[in-house]
Amino acid sequence: MVQYNFKKTTVVPSGKDFIDIILSRTQRQTPTVVHKGYAISRLREFYMRKVKFTQQNFHEKLSAIIDDFPRLDDIHPFYGDLLRLLYDKDHYKLALGQVNTARNIIGKIAKDYVRLLKYGDSLYRCKSLKVAALGRMCTVIKGISTSLAYLEQVRQHMARLPSIDPNTRTLLICGYPNVGKSSFVNKITRADVDVQPYAFTTKSLFVGHTDYKYLRYQVIDTPGILDRPIEERNIIEMCSITALAHIKAAVLFFLDLSGSCGYSIEQQAALFHSIKRLFMNKPLVIVCNKIDLQPLEGLSEEDMKLVMDMKAEAIKSVIAQGGDSNDEGVLLTMSTMTDEGVIAVKNAACERLLNQRVEIKMKSKKINDVLNRFHVAIPKPRDTKERPPCIPPAILEARAKANVETEKRKLEKDLEEENGGAGVYSASLKKHYILDDEEWKEDIMPEILDGHNVYDFIDPDILQRLEELEREEGFRLETEADDDFEMDGKELTEEEQALLAEIRRKKKLLIQEHRIKKSTAESRPIVPRKFDKDNKYTTERMGRELSALGMNPTSAINRVRSRSISRRGRKRERSLGREGEAMDIDNDQSNKKLRAMSRSRSASRSRSKSRPPGEVTPGEGFKDSTQKQKAIKIAKKSVKVRNKNARKGEADRVIPNLKPKHLFSGKRSIGKTSRR
Amino acid sequence: MATRIQFENNCEVGVFSKLTNAYCLVAIGGSENFYSVFESELADVIPVVKTSIGGTRIIGRLCAGNKNGLLLPHTTTDQELQHLRNSLPDHVVVQRIEERLSALGNCISCNDHVALTHPDLDRETEELIADVLGVEVFRQTVAGNILVGSYCAFSNRGGLVHPHTSVEDLDELSTLLQVPLVAGTVNRGSEVIAAGMTVNDWTAFCGSDTTATELSVIESVFKLREAQPSSIVDEMRKSLIDTYGQPTTFYDLLPQLFMSIMNLYPLLTGNVI
Repeated sequence: MVQYNFKKTTVVPSGKDFIDIILSRTQRQTPTVVHKGYAISRLREFYMRKVKFTQQNFHEKLSAIIDDFPRLDDIHPFYGDLLRLLYDKDHYKLALGQVNTARNIIGKIAKDYVRLLKYGDSLYRCKSLKVAALGRMCTVIKGISTSLAYLEQVRQHMARLPSIDPNTRTLLICGYPNVGKSSFVNKITRADVDVQPYAFTTKSLFVGHTDYKYLRYQVIDTPGILDRPIEERNIIEMCSITALAHIKAAVLFFLDLSGSCGYSIEQQAALFHSIKRLFMNKPLVIVCNKIDLQPLEGLSEEDMKLVMDMKAEAIKSVIAQGGDSNDEGVLLTMSTMTDEGVIAVKNAACERLLNQRVEIKMKSKKINDVLNRFHVAIPKPRDTKERPPCIPPAILEARAKANVETEKRKLEKDLEEENGGAGVYSASLKKHYILDDEEWKEDIMPEILDGHNVYDFIDPDILQRLEELEREEGFRLETEADDDFEMDGKELTEEEQALLAEIRRKKKLLIQEHRIKKSTAESRPIVPRKFDKDNKYTTERMGRELSALGMNPTSAINRVRSRSISRRGRKRERSLGREGEAMDIDNDQSNKKLRAMSRSRSASRSRSKSRPPGEVTPGEGFKDSTQKQKAIKIAKKSVKVRNKNARKGEADRVIPNLKPKHLFSGKRSIGKTSRR
Repeated sequence: MATRIQFENNCEVGVFSKLTNAYCLVAIGGSENFYSVFESELADVIPVVKTSIGGTRIIGRLCAGNKNGLLLPHTTTDQELQHLRNSLPDHVVVQRIEERLSALGNCISCNDHVALTHPDLDRETEELIADVLGVEVFRQTVAGNILVGSYCAFSNRGGLVHPHTSVEDLDELSTLLQVPLVAGTVNRGSEVIAAGMTVNDWTAFCGSDTTATELSVIESVFKLREAQPSSIVDEMRKSLIDTYGQPTTFYDLLPQLFMSIMNLYPLLTGNVI
């Protein structure tokens, strides 16, 4: 739907402002620095650009004006006529025409001067041509400055026109001046039209809105109309006539029965008959106002006859539209003073308008698309199941005593206001938890515990399940009690008991031993038992222990001996030769001296007897000698560079003084002494 | 009673709330205004719970429920699930379901007795709906739309469906659901009914763009006042004809289209990433 809103028309600057705007824009948005030493083509280009740019700006601005103002032939005839009436069609068209001509002339000027600029042969000439071009453009605008001023006035006036939608549901109120039209509008809408006790208080159209049956109605208050030939009517009256002629609306023709408006019923009836052609095909309601001063029944006979004539005329128009001939809602009485009948008038008018519109719409094709919206599908029963609504009794109770003022609940919003407003207040989400114990509400619950997601273990029926498990266990225990299978010391024989005691004692001993070792060993590595660090697991010991248990150890010992020694790694043995030698030594020598000598000898011997580098000793962690050799090789290689650089280790980053001063200072030039 | 509200200047209130006969879920907003409207209407009768689902505020489109239970999508976090379990009464079963179409609110529409579902839901989900919500489940479309949860809203007393639903479809759906149905709009012509409003057996909340005509249709069909659905045919008929009969152009619908595309991505796809 086209919206008629003239409030958005852009402002039309006056001729002088227009020129200033354009020229300053040219100055700001085109290059300004030029030098006569530039190539002539560049100079020409520079000024041509200025001329073209100015012309473009003029063109844009003027086009905006031409496009913004409504073309009287294109808009809704109501607005077309209204604008024609208010602004004098010729003047309006002339002004817009002048703007259009100015636009064309400026275009032509620009074209001419650009052409001339092509032949400009110096900076001065080019500049003169530009000045001339811009000057002529400005002169053109100066010429239309009166038109621009007029258009600005029109724009301002249009912006103040009420936004009437010619297509919507509309009530149109007309009648002689001072019959109470504006008072009625003020009663049924919030338009707040000025009401004064003199004629032509309302000088233009006013719009208000009212509601009836969920729909919004536009109420147009028109200026009063006098009964005279159309040529003699003034602009104010013509506004009313335009609205009556072009807007499809329900017409409320107001009559002042009391004549306090200054016009007799006869005059008013004459007006009715002279403009009744405008009411054709529109729901018409004749409203007799001011019945507080002069009730309808109290009219003189001639006046009554005039009123009834009008009524008959109105009913005739109803019948002409194909309506029934009942006369309700055609002639109504009311008093805006006492509010009597005001709403009845509004309702009658709205109802008749609505009926007419519905009738028209029902005939159109579009209605078929929306027919489903007026259809209420009522369910057919498909089974006997009852499906009752579920409304808590509290709601029904509250509805029953809806009128009783109940105490207002303190809302979260109020709390928020009290506690610093939105963004500051933060309500606890746990506030309304429904738990067995109120105190549990604010309990902090971990999300992750011991690396497990706590919620994975939450089970709503955990208590129930526990109960089940307990019951099951109780049952199992009972059945076990029935089988008399028992593990008890009493059933063992003497011998077995002794063995058991022995086992337990041994275990205890081992544990004690282990603990002692652990406490004294500090951080020494734990060597697996098979390496036999303490030399505890000897064959002798095995023999001893086996024989203590009353078994013959021979075969076991033999078996162990027969095993290849390589598996275990060879143990270093004391040199027998040395021992023998010591035996030969005289006993004169002091024991102490002998021992010292023996120690030193044994040390030297042991060094000399050291194993080849590749040999594997137990506890080193190598599988075999090849592996060890490889490892040694890698280790040597890794330190090779470092050793070459004479570094102590990885951490040695010392940078020695590369050029010690005492060696390089002095007056002698290089080469005189080999060493200083 | 139908109330017109907004959630942070957005009229799609059905997106940010879930109303049933036993509880009401409300999205956590920047201020308490939205929550307090529900609170003042409902808090004396049923719990009104502020929550997020899967960290989002579009809870109305993500969950489905009635007085018997609440179905949550697999995107719901453990904390949210526990929060809801703590906040809702014990007789409401809260269940998180593994369904590929995670915007359950768009895919399921239900009252306390019947549910309409998206035709592509898993069979397991369908069983869960029947068990948890205690309803008969029908795979259906509304006016050719598979997102039944978005395009219709119904309580135990009445229902509103997509405006393009044909008269035959209306009758069929009504017989399935065993409630009176009307085709209509909310929020000044929006056809995503369930996004624009949320309703239970005694109250409704609509977006603040909803016109007087739309509101009175809603009140009549859901029997929120003394009005009966038949009044739509009788006294409101003329108003409706005059409203709908008006020529509507593409440009009138433009803001609406824009709204649905911008804000309601899940409405269009039925899925939330």
